[in-house]
Amino acid sequence: MTTLEQLSQAVAAGKSKDAKALTQRALDEGVKPGRLVDEALVPAMAAVGERFKNNEIFVPEMLVAARAMKEAMNLLEPRLLAAGITPKYTALIGTVQGDLHDIGKNLVAVMWRGANFRVVDLGTNVPPAKFVAAINEHRPQLIGLSALLTTTMPAMVETVRTIRASGCPAVKIMVGGAPISQQFAEEIGADGYASDAGSAVDRARELVGAI
Amino acid sequence: MSRPQSIHVQWPDGASTLALRAVHHDGATLADQLAEAGRPLNTRCGRHGRCAGCTVELVAGRFLGRDGTEHAAPAEIKACQGRLAPGADTTIAVPARSLATHRPQVVTTFKVGVPAATEPLVPVVPGESDHGLAIDIGTTTVVVSLVDLRSGNIVREEASFNRQIELGDDVVTRIQLAGVPDKLDVLRDAIVGRTLAPLIAGVCAGAAIAPERLAGATVAGNTTMLHLLTGTDPTPMGVAPFCAAFLEHRQLTAANIGLSTPPPAMPVHLLPGISAYVGADLVAGCVCTGLNHCAEPSLLVDIGTNGEILLMHRGRLLATATAAGPAFEGGRLARGTRAVAGAVAHVRFDGEFPPALDLIPGANGIVGLCGSAYVDFLAQGRRISLLEPTGRISPSAWQTLPAVHRHHRDITRGVRLNAQNDATLVTEADVAHLLQAKAAIAAGIVTLLRRAGLAPADIRTLYLAGGFGLHLDVAHAIESGLLPGFRPEQIDVVGNTALGGAWLALIDRTVLPEMIAASTAAEVVELNLEPGFEDTFIDHLALP
Ligand code: B12
Repeated sequence: MTTLEQLSQAVAAGKSKDAKALTQRALDEGVKPGRLVDEALVPAMAAVGERFKNNEIFVPEMLVAARAMKEAMNLLEPRLLAAGITPKYTALIGTVQGDLHDIGKNLVAVMWRGANFRVVDLGTNVPPAKFVAAINEHRPQLIGLSALLTTTMPAMVETVRTIRASGCPAVKIMVGGAPISQQFAEEIGADGYASDAGSAVDRARELVGAI
Repeated sequence: MSRPQSIHVQWPDGASTLALRAVHHDGATLADQLAEAGRPLNTRCGRHGRCAGCTVELVAGRFLGRDGTEHAAPAEIKACQGRLAPGADTTIAVPARSLATHRPQVVTTFKVGVPAATEPLVPVVPGESDHGLAIDIGTTTVVVSLVDLRSGNIVREEASFNRQIELGDDVVTRIQLAGVPDKLDVLRDAIVGRTLAPLIAGVCAGAAIAPERLAGATVAGNTTMLHLLTGTDPTPMGVAPFCAAFLEHRQLTAANIGLSTPPPAMPVHLLPGISAYVGADLVAGCVCTGLNHCAEPSLLVDIGTNGEILLMHRGRLLATATAAGPAFEGGRLARGTRAVAGAVAHVRFDGEFPPALDLIPGANGIVGLCGSAYVDFLAQGRRISLLEPTGRISPSAWQTLPAVHRHHRDITRGVRLNAQNDATLVTEADVAHLLQAKAAIAAGIVTLLRRAGLAPADIRTLYLAGGFGLHLDVAHAIESGLLPGFRPEQIDVVGNTALGGAWLALIDRTVLPEMIAASTAAEVVELNLEPGFEDTFIDHLALP
């Protein structure tokens, strides 16, 4: 098995230490960071997403895989940046104002990175105006809003409204989080909804026209 | 007025025909209609359609979903999500676990770790005004104890579900509801008029004590419950930075609260809390167990939908709240239920499969599995390698089970603990939910300890409070990683110490100042702001 294949397997199995070591080894072997992403990490996260959709794995295993992916990305990101490699699509993501939950949002962010999006993570408790400012700054094609509390669903409504009213560049808005539903997403005028990080990838690619 | 709608209902204890109020325009659902007809269902998510609490079987007829969908029999429907289409011969079957009428498993027992004198908080006139009430308002259950203030003894106790449950299951759902015009009053009436009033009348009647003899009351409860009791708007506690309108000790009167049974001027003391999510119930427990005086590092842990944790170390009291979600109360699990009659409380694998099941008595047959049984399953399922560390059911171990115990849907597996009974099914999806709840509690404990530079082995005593703790097999809680890295000797199961603290504060007036001191000295640790929390949470998703 090549180092890249081993890396892909380590990420999918959630073996963080191995993922880190194998990423380093591949780099030492002279594999270009861009190729490492395309041939090891993207397929690994695609496989994880696919297995999740098929109920072959559940949230706990997915979180562990995402952490392994993050270990690898931490080593690669500075090198990708230095090499001037930027993915075709950019996405912004953040947890809406009043809410500090971010584990689910972080998972979606990793899966999007794994699908070769550049992801700018605005963190938690993000006021609507900060989303607008970030859209103007980063010019994303996609924006993801997360809310985990029923009490912060109104903040999500407000954020969508503010973005739409702001006159900032057109952007597709995706929403998610445990209390959010497809119906709610439609009511508040979001463009898309996904119930989990696996389908969040498919929906994101659809929305930006990547498939 | 249109004619009422007549339907046939198969209850767990027999069939009946029910006339439901006709609804067309006001948006009332089948769950509303059944509640009006005196048979409320378990609408614990607040009628949002998020839980399976009010699921009934449509045996004949059609069901019109609120979202425009239509379901024809046979179908499983969520009664809060639509109404029955008019028509003759409409029949539904209501399983026992969907009824809200189960009696709660009441926790009135508690262990007191400190000596107390009988020198009541309120003035006593023997023969005239010489009894008091110690009250614990839980999100799920409410307990009222009648105390003879001359002796300090509890003479009568009554408990019931908090009637706010019909309006919303967890605290955040109720906080949100309170923001809807008029609903704050509805919530207040549910606790004051419909829960406390009958309980207080009940204890007085049961002990043959005239209500005029009530001299005072102490109330413990989480911060949201005390806000709703006093009609205070809790909505700021629903969003960051989670600000409570009040946390301090307050002395009110029966009239202020709206209680009409006791004398209007009877003092009512609300015990002090620490933060929006670490309430007076924990402060009461802290003093009741003597945690605030522990010289060696000790913990108080109360596990519910939220897990509250207090750590006493070198004279410092650290407090945090973690969120488990409803899994340990059976929420969102295929066959999950609260600890009600007919629930499997314990599962014992004495070496082999199938395990022996212990039921909570009082029902015919098995209604489902409650939290303590799932914890048993996690620990022992892992021990016999039926469960893998990831929480998946081992394909090879599963293959060796007799076919009647095996369940599968698509490619996910399940195990029927009792071959004859589908109410004992545990699925891999259930395990995934349980692991998240377990990880949130475990990571909360470990993160708080880490803040103080401690490990589980350094803890002298972990006081395990609350109803869930009382039913839990401590060894299995440790083995499953819910109480990670502890030894059984470290765990002291102390029961309802919120009630215990309320009782102590009532009979010994030196106790309240201690509670006030503890609540103001406590330092709140916000787990979101702890850098290692997410990693620790993910680490604890696995089974040891
Ligand atoms: C872990 C956790 C916490 C951690 C949060 C740590 C962190 N950094 O995020 C801690 C302990 C700090 C916490 C605190 C609180 N929590 Co909390 N928490 C949870 C818990 C147990 C798990 C959430 C989680 O991370 N799941 C794992 C991830 C992977 O799943 P997920 O978040 O659902 O995300 C998936 C999807 O929803 C979707 N998704 C999510 N975001 C997005 C965004 C987009 C764009 C898309 C497309 C998809 C998507 O994809 C994700 C991956 O599949 C849940 C209960 C539960 N089992 O859900 C409660 C829960 C969410 N918390 C709750 C509460 C009330 C709180 C508190 C307010 C009170 C408390 N102390 O308990 C506090 C305050 C929170 C705050 N400060 O904002 C309640 C909310 C109840 C309600 N009715 O709204 C829950 C449901 C538990 C409960 N019933 O009591 N919590």
